[in-house]
Amino acid sequence: MIAALLAAFAFQTIDSVPSHRAPRSVAIDARLAADAHVAIGDRIIMSSTPGGPGDTVIVTALVRRRADPSEVARAEYRVRMHLDELQSLIGYGDRVDRFAVSARSDSSTTRAIRRINDEAFGFQAYRSRDIAVETSRTFLVVTRFHRAIGVITIVASAIFLLCIMLLKVDERRRDVAALRLMGISAGTIVRSVMIEAALVAVLGSLMGVGIGWLTSLGINWHYRAVYRTPLAFSVVTPSIVALAVTLSLVLGLAAGFAAAQRLVRAPALELLSGRREDRRDLVQAR
Amino acid sequence: MLLRLAWAALTRHRSRTLLAVLGVAVSAAMLLDMVMLSSGMRASFRNMLLAKGFQLRLAPKGTLPFDTDATIPDATNVIRTLHAIPGVQTVSPVLGGQLHVSLGSRTVTATAIGIDPAVQGDYDITAGRAPASPDEFVANDTFIRDARVSLGDTVAAAAGYDPQLRAFAGRRTLRLVGRAHFLYMAGDQRAAAVPIATLQAMQGERARDRASLFMIRAATGANVDTVLASVERALPNVSAVSTETAMRQVDERLSYFRQLALILGAVSLAVGFLLVTTLVSVSVNERLGEIVVMRAIGVARGRVVAQIVLEGVGIMIVGAVVGLALGLVTARYLNSILASFPGLPAAIDFFLFEPHDAWSALGMLVVAGILAGIYPSWRGASLPIATTLRDEAIG
Repeated sequence: MIAALLAAFAFQTIDSVPSHRAPRSVAIDARLAADAHVAIGDRIIMSSTPGGPGDTVIVTALVRRRADPSEVARAEYRVRMHLDELQSLIGYGDRVDRFAVSARSDSSTTRAIRRINDEAFGFQAYRSRDIAVETSRTFLVVTRFHRAIGVITIVASAIFLLCIMLLKVDERRRDVAALRLMGISAGTIVRSVMIEAALVAVLGSLMGVGIGWLTSLGINWHYRAVYRTPLAFSVVTPSIVALAVTLSLVLGLAAGFAAAQRLVRAPALELLSGRREDRRDLVQAR
Repeated sequence: MLLRLAWAALTRHRSRTLLAVLGVAVSAAMLLDMVMLSSGMRASFRNMLLAKGFQLRLAPKGTLPFDTDATIPDATNVIRTLHAIPGVQTVSPVLGGQLHVSLGSRTVTATAIGIDPAVQGDYDITAGRAPASPDEFVANDTFIRDARVSLGDTVAAAAGYDPQLRAFAGRRTLRLVGRAHFLYMAGDQRAAAVPIATLQAMQGERARDRASLFMIRAATGANVDTVLASVERALPNVSAVSTETAMRQVDERLSYFRQLALILGAVSLAVGFLLVTTLVSVSVNERLGEIVVMRAIGVARGRVVAQIVLEGVGIMIVGAVVGLALGLVTARYLNSILASFPGLPAAIDFFLFEPHDAWSALGMLVVAGILAGIYPSWRGASLPIATTLRDEAIG
């Protein structure tokens, strides 16, 4: 209905308001104002049907959209007008689509809903929270999708980290062999590798947080411009940072442990020479 | 020979190679998923729009089909006008609404469309037949299941509910004659189709000779853009949307997913590239002595480079093949998540597999594998032979 009004808004030229009546005021979407080059104080003609008779109104306010995720993908323009004006314009009579009721407390909300649904003729009352749950289903789906993508990313990161740790440890096998031949215990070597892995993981994740924060700024800047909304599309919160660093640390320690175990289990001389001793060859040699 | 040497180098550190292949496989899976995501939505949306061959849709001026409750008046004249336009072959009017079916103490509400059964492009009959008289209708599986009705059953239906009077409006007795698959409805949405005249009559004065949408099929050989321009000239109070325009609007609304696909796809490729570069670099560093010996005995630099590049490509190809299989499984899972978007037509797939997607992903990975191997191998093969041999000998 509103869309039809707005469609008419762009093409309407026939004014049905008598000249003696002062035009009523309307508030229009800031996006509509920008696209149609309308400013506060302008007079416009609104109609419920394209090309049909309409009313002259005066734009007295521009309304910026709220940061409401459910409105992000909605591209249509909106106009806020006096209720009686809209009822008259669209021939709706003394009717409304819904009432918003403010209650004093949660318990009074429950009582009000019960009474309205039991006693009021032709009404159905809903708690705003329940409506919000229904309208946010889309975002629950997006959240689930992001979570699934996140899990895949974590698996890829874990493999990557393990691979890097393995390579780093392999590169230092001669140093480790020397340490072991000097009598340094396997436990000490494992701990040192794990500390190194933890440092790599923490430094990497801190760099990642920095990159993520910058990316988040870019994402918000881009999508706010695309959807013309003040909504924050990406947020970096302390809990997200803590989760990322902790996860990275755990993965790093696990990768370090796995890589170090390979190192301490191999004979020290084999590590030093860089050659794998083939047991069968040894048996045959004997 | 080259292949044997590359194989020997890769199998020398099996666990390392296995991990690299696994890493590339996960990256390849993600890459394939993102390639599928970036093209799948468009392809499946296009397939859905063109499923019945209607290339144009007319909606009330300034709106998209079924985006609002607005309707187009004087539907009979609109149809007549459209048929007079050269190149218009079929015009299918559609009116949207609701159908409340009383079943004793309970009511089942469905999305209803009023159609002309002879030219409709909204559903495929899967059992029974299309409505042949004004009091017949077809419904989808969800409606039939929820209403617990069977083909041939008669139901008391209404087109509206008056909350002031707490009574149904526009009552009719309708007979279910067919089970249908609705092309544009969500999977869990109850849907029914009745002849358009029936729904107009049930909705009363406000729907008299009105339609929410007209679908137009252009004649074979007719230029759709020309037909579109003629329609807009003949009917200034409607918005004509071609398949291309609809695609652009969908692109605009779902740009988020395409951009996400682009970013994640690029990250996946970069991760795979980094992994193989690291592995090949370390492998080259470990085998400097071996490489310079090969150079010393006369093996050409290009051949050494080719062998090392082959190692990177080998990891990429094996990882990609495993990853493509893994990608199909994860795509199915991710698609099932996104398919639960409220109101999304069941025909839309976000992750639609097309063979060229797999080839694109494989091609990108092979190129990344080649690039990953070129620098470390060239560096290794370009080292001064004598100095490197002495350094390696001294250790």
